[in-house]
Amino acid sequence: MTRDGSKLSGSSATGAQVVVRIRDVKRIYHLGKVEVRALQGINLIVEKGEFLSIMGPSGCGKSTLMHIIGCLDRPSSGHISIDEVDVDELDDNRLADIRNRKVGFVFQTFNLLPKLNAIENVELPLIYAGAGFEERRKKASELLNVVGLNDRMYHRPSELSGGQSQRVAIARALANDPSLILADEPTGNLDSKSGEEIIHLFEELNNRGITLIIVTHDKDIAGHSKRIVRLKDGLVLSDEKIK
Amino acid sequence: MINLLDPFKIAFGSLLSNKLRSLLTTLGVIIGVAAVITLVSMGEGAKSYILGQIGSWGMGANSLVIQPGTGDATIPELTLTYDDAVVLRQKIRHLQYLMPEFVGRGRCIYGKKSYIPSYTMGASADYPLAYKQKAVEGRFFSEADDASRRRVVVIGKTIVNKLFGSYSPIGEKITINGIGFTVIGVLEEKGTLLTNDMDDIALIPGSLSETVLGTNKIWEIFITVEKDDQVAQAIDDIEKILTARHHRVDFHTHTQQGMIDIINNILNAMTGIVSAIAAISLLVGGIGIMNIMLVAVTERTREIGIRKSIGAKQRDIFLQFVFESVLITMSGALIGIIIGTLAAWLIMHFLKMEAVIAWGAAYSACLVAFLVGTFFGVYPAVRASRLDPVEALRYEA
Ligand SMILES: Nc1ncnc2c1ncn2[C@@H]1O[C@H](COP(=O)(O)OP(=O)(O)O)[C@@H](O)[C@H]1O
Ligand SMILES: [Mg+2]
Repeated sequence: MTRDGSKLSGSSATGAQVVVRIRDVKRIYHLGKVEVRALQGINLIVEKGEFLSIMGPSGCGKSTLMHIIGCLDRPSSGHISIDEVDVDELDDNRLADIRNRKVGFVFQTFNLLPKLNAIENVELPLIYAGAGFEERRKKASELLNVVGLNDRMYHRPSELSGGQSQRVAIARALANDPSLILADEPTGNLDSKSGEEIIHLFEELNNRGITLIIVTHDKDIAGHSKRIVRLKDGLVLSDEKIK
Repeated sequence: MINLLDPFKIAFGSLLSNKLRSLLTTLGVIIGVAAVITLVSMGEGAKSYILGQIGSWGMGANSLVIQPGTGDATIPELTLTYDDAVVLRQKIRHLQYLMPEFVGRGRCIYGKKSYIPSYTMGASADYPLAYKQKAVEGRFFSEADDASRRRVVVIGKTIVNKLFGSYSPIGEKITINGIGFTVIGVLEEKGTLLTNDMDDIALIPGSLSETVLGTNKIWEIFITVEKDDQVAQAIDDIEKILTARHHRVDFHTHTQQGMIDIINNILNAMTGIVSAIAAISLLVGGIGIMNIMLVAVTERTREIGIRKSIGAKQRDIFLQFVFESVLITMSGALIGIIIGTLAAWLIMHFLKMEAVIAWGAAYSACLVAFLVGTFFGVYPAVRASRLDPVEALRYEA
């Protein structure tokens, strides 16, 4: 790596390991002849162990940015690296590998497979990583323990509450020990109590050294994180350390 | 790199969670395969039955049959006579047995009981050996009986039952078409060939045919020679002898091989038709499967998005859907094989024949189902594998 993203991002260089490095990322959607400039030049560096909240009004590009960091989408221009790997240069297969091993995605709507039970849902990323059955079961049950669902392993999503479903989704995101957990409005579909529980779980995971980026509208939720990045119209409006 | 068992399991899982639809999807394949298996099993069963019957009637490879007519007319003129049979017996080289059939109608009367057997037949003394059916009670008539026109008759079990009930008929006097006969033997039971009762038969010396049955004309002459490779020579002899006697070719010969060829030709034609039906039904079934797989891909867009978001590669998604399509078709084929075999067994059971399990057809059905499932599964699977993860996640069913 010769590029020095820290200058561009404006964040202080601490010398810690960089997990996400984003340089002048733009994302333009083409709706017929209309261009939607969802991201207009984002610069951002996230170091290992950070707990970052992304805030901003609806439509400002938060989800788009998360998708790009999560390697679900590619920037129209600019560069992004995960663990110092330039993911914008990878083919679809390698990108799938990054999604599988480097990042864990948590969605607002949980996105569990309804026909699989909790432990099978958590096993899915391990299947695509090529793990054997025994290994998968062991790892998945450990993770369900971590998120406090050891008594719900064989329940299907329809038999779980929202908060429980989101815990399963978090366990699934942790399956392949990713460098980074991305959560796009993880508490958006939860009541405030369940939301609190989820954010405490995130705090706990962060205390164990897991790097987290969450998108939220909720100031209280964001208050639990260590750094808040505000977006507006596809640009970084502010970036402040709060802890 | 994910191993192949996992996408297989995933496919199997989604198949089971949608049992009814999977079954309906593959109905075309089930029906096609079941029809083929039924028909082929029945055909094979009928073939082995017919060949078995031919064998049990003495039709070895050393045998041949002479029939009147050129073989193409539907109702041939009966050109072969008793005298022809006498001359052939003298002149065919390496002759073993010669058995002319003079078939007529004979009313048999014993005391007050009267009965007309299906077959009242003039025969030669070679009958028991040529047709492998001996007299189990009494004896068969001899060459001397035939030559001296002795009025003796050998009867089958059905006639015994009709006229004598449980009494032994040996030595009893009956009349056939008003002419007095002595029963000297009872034939070994043969059962039925297709629907004909082969025990409903009375055999008299061929020399009496004209007197008793009113005809000296022959339906066919069954001949065996000493060795299989002498059949061609015998045919040669027959053609020379009969052409010289009749001054024209008004007869034809069949060998056992010829019969087997005919049966095989019929069965092959049947197999051809069945295969065509199968091909069409599998094609229709395959299109049905492609259609339902395309629906499944659309319905499961979100699932595909989720799988991709957690690291499924295009190949993983592709395999999942191809396996699902192959599994559906193969299950259909298996169900079809089971249903078809049962149906064939049932039908043959009612026809009092044995069904033969059509292994060959079953293997081909599986293979074809595999190919159909793969072929028609590829396009939907490719569509699934190429879905954009973000778009797919956004999809609302
Ligand atoms: N697939 C798409 N096609 C066209 N426009 C899109 C698409 N996805 C998002 N956008 C647009 O990009 C902008 C940013 O969207 P998004 O990142 O979802 O915002 P946020 O998550 O901050 O609410 C919005 O104006 C949205 O309408
Ligand atoms: Mg959003």
